[in-house]
Amino acid sequence: MNLHPLFVHGVHWPELLVIVIRVVVGFAALMGAVVMMIWFERKVISDMQARIGPNRAGPFGLLQTLADGIKLFFKEDLVPEEADRFVFKLAPLLSLVPAIVAFAIVPVGGVMSVAGHRFTLQIADPPIGILLLLAMSSISVYGVMLAGWSSGSKYPLLGSVRASAQMISYEAAMGMSVVMVVLLAGTLSTRGIVDAQSSTFFASWYFVRTGVVPFFIFLVAVTAETNRPPFDLVEADSELVGGFNTEYSSLRFALFYMAEFMNTITMSAVIVTLFLGGPDGPTPHVMVLNQLVPVAWFLGKTLLFLFAYVWFRAALPRLRYDQLMDLGWKVLIPLSLVWTLIVAGGLVAGWWVVGLAVALVVGAGLLYRAVVVGHWRVDAGIFPDAPDAPPVSRRQRGALAGRWVSPPATATAGATSGAAVAVGVAPGANAPLGAEPTATTDAGAARSAPDGSGRGGGS
Amino acid sequence: MGEYLPILVLIVLGLLFAGLSFAASALLGPRRRPTSAKVAPYECGIVPDVEPPQRFPVRFYLVAMIFIIFDIEIVFLYPWAVIFRQLQTFGLVEVLVFAVVVFVTFLYLVSNGALDWGPAKRLERADTKRTTSSTVSRVPGGPPGEPSSGHEAA
Repeated sequence: MNLHPLFVHGVHWPELLVIVIRVVVGFAALMGAVVMMIWFERKVISDMQARIGPNRAGPFGLLQTLADGIKLFFKEDLVPEEADRFVFKLAPLLSLVPAIVAFAIVPVGGVMSVAGHRFTLQIADPPIGILLLLAMSSISVYGVMLAGWSSGSKYPLLGSVRASAQMISYEAAMGMSVVMVVLLAGTLSTRGIVDAQSSTFFASWYFVRTGVVPFFIFLVAVTAETNRPPFDLVEADSELVGGFNTEYSSLRFALFYMAEFMNTITMSAVIVTLFLGGPDGPTPHVMVLNQLVPVAWFLGKTLLFLFAYVWFRAALPRLRYDQLMDLGWKVLIPLSLVWTLIVAGGLVAGWWVVGLAVALVVGAGLLYRAVVVGHWRVDAGIFPDAPDAPPVSRRQRGALAGRWVSPPATATAGATSGAAVAVGVAPGANAPLGAEPTATTDAGAARSAPDGSGRGGGS
Repeated sequence: MGEYLPILVLIVLGLLFAGLSFAASALLGPRRRPTSAKVAPYECGIVPDVEPPQRFPVRFYLVAMIFIIFDIEIVFLYPWAVIFRQLQTFGLVEVLVFAVVVFVTFLYLVSNGALDWGPAKRLERADTKRTTSSTVSRVPGGPPGEPSSGHEAA
């Protein structure tokens, strides 16, 4: 039987004890933070909406979350008849456990030495640190997806299908902006990333050194990844009741709720770790203070982002699904791809940055063109690359040049099939691919104008 | 390997927490048999008569497939990023070529509308015969001064 290296020469109880204490303390702190975060969000958002918010349980309603949690213990635990019982019960665990584990890699403070033992203020510091975070955020997609699918109900299913598409879309951009940080740090360990940023205050943080853009990409991607507003289409209350967790009650619902807030906290802490130097900040060189002040710095910076998340929720309206996907795919992913190259170029030589910046502009132009062509093709229903595309003869195209043709007979009957015929012969069909139909006819212009304003926002 | 042990302990702790919570919930919660209305899929009070959809727009699957391209690209980028300081220009040029290939693929996808959402718009030409005078029917003997045109076939 293979033993853990720690146990090869007999079990080292002190080491094991230190690990268990570290984990239990970290877990308790995270749980406490979740309870406080729920209260914080409710209180801040009620202030922003000119309400009072929770104020009954405990001073300032601080114990409201606990009261709610205890109440949920006493509620009936329902499993809908249509549900896939095993998956239905598994899903909350798949949501909660990755949320807990992801927090393990966050460095909360500097190196501490207590009674001769030196240890870092962080639950675990594996050499693959940041990959563990990405892995956990990928697994949490399963929690949401399986919860919705196993419920056997419409709204959760819709919510979960949206969720999985949304979460994987933004995961790409998120992963790419992490690559930029790894490029500069040269290590995947979160401790290493934090140490690499700690030479001078602010100027040495990756927020500045990666050129600000990756920070914003990461912030947006993480907001979408954790399904926080304005990207909360997963649980869009006004259209999907409660989204993927509609059918969940009692404690299973509580676990989802907890996982969501845990993810928010973890991700705020990860932003601080990756871009704002983690616990880095001016520290007095006094015995105890030099170990406590970094923790305070870390908590302060994290609180900033927790507040920002609540602020987003209060201030920003929810995105439409196509806007969400456009932002993720057509802005964040290409931008992060090119910016990765720019950051890498900056590490080699200055003129690479200039060259790649030109490439960024050219790429943006090409992408814009591709988006226009894409919209035109989808609207016109013409896909010359599709294997089963209906042939459009040259003569036919010539006859339709720049004209909006009403299909014979059927259109006057008002049948919708007549409209389907019209789809095949859009204006400008004989123009080179990508020609904007906007300028060809009045009808084309009238059709394209609202379309362009509606979708153009993302590009 | 010592640094992975805390993660294992944390997973165990998380499962333990969830397990104990479920146990507590089972002990404390009401144990009545749920009624048929309770276990029915929730639809805001409407009795559900349609099964949840089994088929979904193909775009969701398309996005999943496109995602895999990018995910694989990112998987390649991590080891590259870690040892980039040793690779220098060689590493940059190599990933540049790789990125160009991925980007061209991406442009192809976008230009085919693979990432466009929402239904394709129906193109309907307005019927020139249909005007306000042909579609708006006026009440015979309406306001004085206006001739009542009655119905006109479109």
